[in-house]
Amino acid sequence: MEKPEKLIVDGKRLDGRAPDELRPLKIQAGVLKRADGSAYVELGKNKVLAAVYGPREMHPRHHQQPDTAVLRCRYNMAPFSVEERKRPGPDRRSVEISKVAREALEPVVFLELYPRSAIDIFIEILQADAGTRTTGITAASVALADAGVPMRDLVSAVAVGKVDDTIVLDLTKEEDQWGTTDMPIALMPRKKLITLLQMDGHFTHEEFKRALALAFNGCEQIYEAQKRALREKYSVKPEEE
Amino acid sequence: MYEIVSSVKRDYIVDLARQGKRVDGRALDQCRDVSVETGLIKSAQGSALVKLGSTQVLAGVKLERVEPFPDTPPSGVLMVNAELLPLASPTFEPGPPDENAIELARVVDRGIRESGAIDIDKLGITPGEEVWAVFIDIHVLDHDGNLIDASALAAIAALWSIKTPKVEGWTLPEFPIVKKPVAITMAKIDEKLMVDPCLSEENVMDARATVTTVEDGSICAIQKGGVGCFTREDLEAAYELARARAEDLRKHIG
Amino acid sequence: MLHVQNRELVMPGQLLAEGGYIINEGAFREGGRVYASVVGLADIHGQKIRVIPLRGRYIPKHGDIVIGVVIDTHYSGWILDLNSPYVGNLFVSDLLRRKVDLVREDIGQYLGIGDVVVAKIKDVNELMRVQLEAGEPSMGRVAGGKLVEVVPTKVPRIIGRKGSMLNVLQSVGGCRLTVGQNGRVMIWGDDPRRVNAVIEALLMIEREAHTSGLTDRVRLMLEKVKSEGGE
Repeated sequence: MEKPEKLIVDGKRLDGRAPDELRPLKIQAGVLKRADGSAYVELGKNKVLAAVYGPREMHPRHHQQPDTAVLRCRYNMAPFSVEERKRPGPDRRSVEISKVAREALEPVVFLELYPRSAIDIFIEILQADAGTRTTGITAASVALADAGVPMRDLVSAVAVGKVDDTIVLDLTKEEDQWGTTDMPIALMPRKKLITLLQMDGHFTHEEFKRALALAFNGCEQIYEAQKRALREKYSVKPEEE
Repeated sequence: MYEIVSSVKRDYIVDLARQGKRVDGRALDQCRDVSVETGLIKSAQGSALVKLGSTQVLAGVKLERVEPFPDTPPSGVLMVNAELLPLASPTFEPGPPDENAIELARVVDRGIRESGAIDIDKLGITPGEEVWAVFIDIHVLDHDGNLIDASALAAIAALWSIKTPKVEGWTLPEFPIVKKPVAITMAKIDEKLMVDPCLSEENVMDARATVTTVEDGSICAIQKGGVGCFTREDLEAAYELARARAEDLRKHIG
Repeated sequence: MLHVQNRELVMPGQLLAEGGYIINEGAFREGGRVYASVVGLADIHGQKIRVIPLRGRYIPKHGDIVIGVVIDTHYSGWILDLNSPYVGNLFVSDLLRRKVDLVREDIGQYLGIGDVVVAKIKDVNELMRVQLEAGEPSMGRVAGGKLVEVVPTKVPRIIGRKGSMLNVLQSVGGCRLTVGQNGRVMIWGDDPRRVNAVIEALLMIEREAHTSGLTDRVRLMLEKVKSEGGE
């Protein structure tokens, strides 16, 4: 696809959204049998699966911490998740994302309750359309709750950016590619604490403040959807014969 | 990592086998419920999500222009890769494909390649210079046994879902898929053959045999696994079972 | 001041109460406020507040009865998988309740890898190293029967108030059960049909643990199987 002349026409984006609008969002909790907790999230064309194992025995043993659990995170893209087939296995990008995703989730987990153990998070990107790290974090946080891991809060994440000099919420691949700025953010919504923040591109001070406000607003919507998904899975459904 | 199976579970399954019964109440020759959903992954030219009981496998097919192999300059290239994602089982670990993942990919590959399911000669672009490569990536999402049959079914269903691929430079009217190979795996437990073993059966089985057949009932691939043995009679029976069950599963393709 | 109702489904981070409540489990305090830390049901008794978790791994507690699987042996005992992040250590003297001369006696005759053992948690230290004992008559290696695994957080429901549910499972179900706090249940019975009915009942309890009238539904289901008679 070639760069369109304008990414925003009459205040509408290429996919018809307003600048402050999220893509369609679907969250399901508890979708895998083997994992202790799991979640599936669709955000626009992103399709992301997250699974949590643990707390479980830490292997290798010498990675055990005597006073706390260790959180481990692996972000991985399916070879068919992108336009040009991605070679399987970790690359520099996925190693970095695994790290920042882990650091985005770790502040909410009561790791100190499970000395010497490991809690493993696996994020699988099945179909990618910009914002996979934030969608992955959103999914992982639901999977952690689904696994019954004690948490201070959920973590909700979304990207904001600048496209055609407009601050927009939740960039698509086209907007990410041809826009000027991309800023993924993860939030502990209850206390409004930021647990992941990256940015590349260009913002003025004023734009940065507006982008942050937009991101907080987006995370709030995602937070509600996360809680809805968990409620849906766990609400009382008495099955009468 | 492997699972230590408790003696109680092992005895229970073996005891049931002796009575011709199975742990989940199935008949010996019965598959678990199957569902196949194609076209989920828009970034792939073909895709299929297969659920076989609680086992879930997602296969995606990508078409790319590559240089041909020197020994088959005019023909297309087929590549099958399988990932036993650590998300799918507590016993799978991150890292490059281990022997189980490689065996899985190669068994799926043989079924497709040897059956001639893809008319690979039609995938040439400029003989000796450029051909189409068919990348089949198998993503195991939830492991509750019998990954081979689920993966083989996902792969062939994904290939049949391609129709006319949406990829730059494609000139053929349709993707040249012509056959429907189907793999059926049987576990041998206490001299009994059980079709489509679930994980707890796999954990205690003596051996397994996978027989891949095409529409006319002929065989295109076989794989024996596990440390136990099969008799000639076992294999006769396995073939009959495979042919019958393959017919059922084939209805889910294309 | 309470912000939720008793038995309400709550989410991690949800405000439960303000003020001097005593937290039992599944909740934490921040400032003067009490929040849920897990998905679960708020359970409020006077000043006591807790969240009954709906999912989660088993964490060993002193005095619990558990069902372990031997995964390793060492010089003086065995290591047991407890369906938990933490394995249990069982010394041969805590199995036999006597001193054992390790030089003269081969402890391999008592337990081997894969064996299923009913044990009690004797001690858990701050590093979560778990000591087991299995000397009481109802404990030790088990043989025969069927081992079923359920979500450990549902075990209290399988036992029921004062053992009421377990009572129904055994008397109406016509089977003998040992329930481990770690989510493992052993079932012994002569009629495989009734064993299967009890397994069905366990899965039903797991699915519908937080609904009311469950004991009656389980009783009804088992009675039906019982009245249908043997093979």
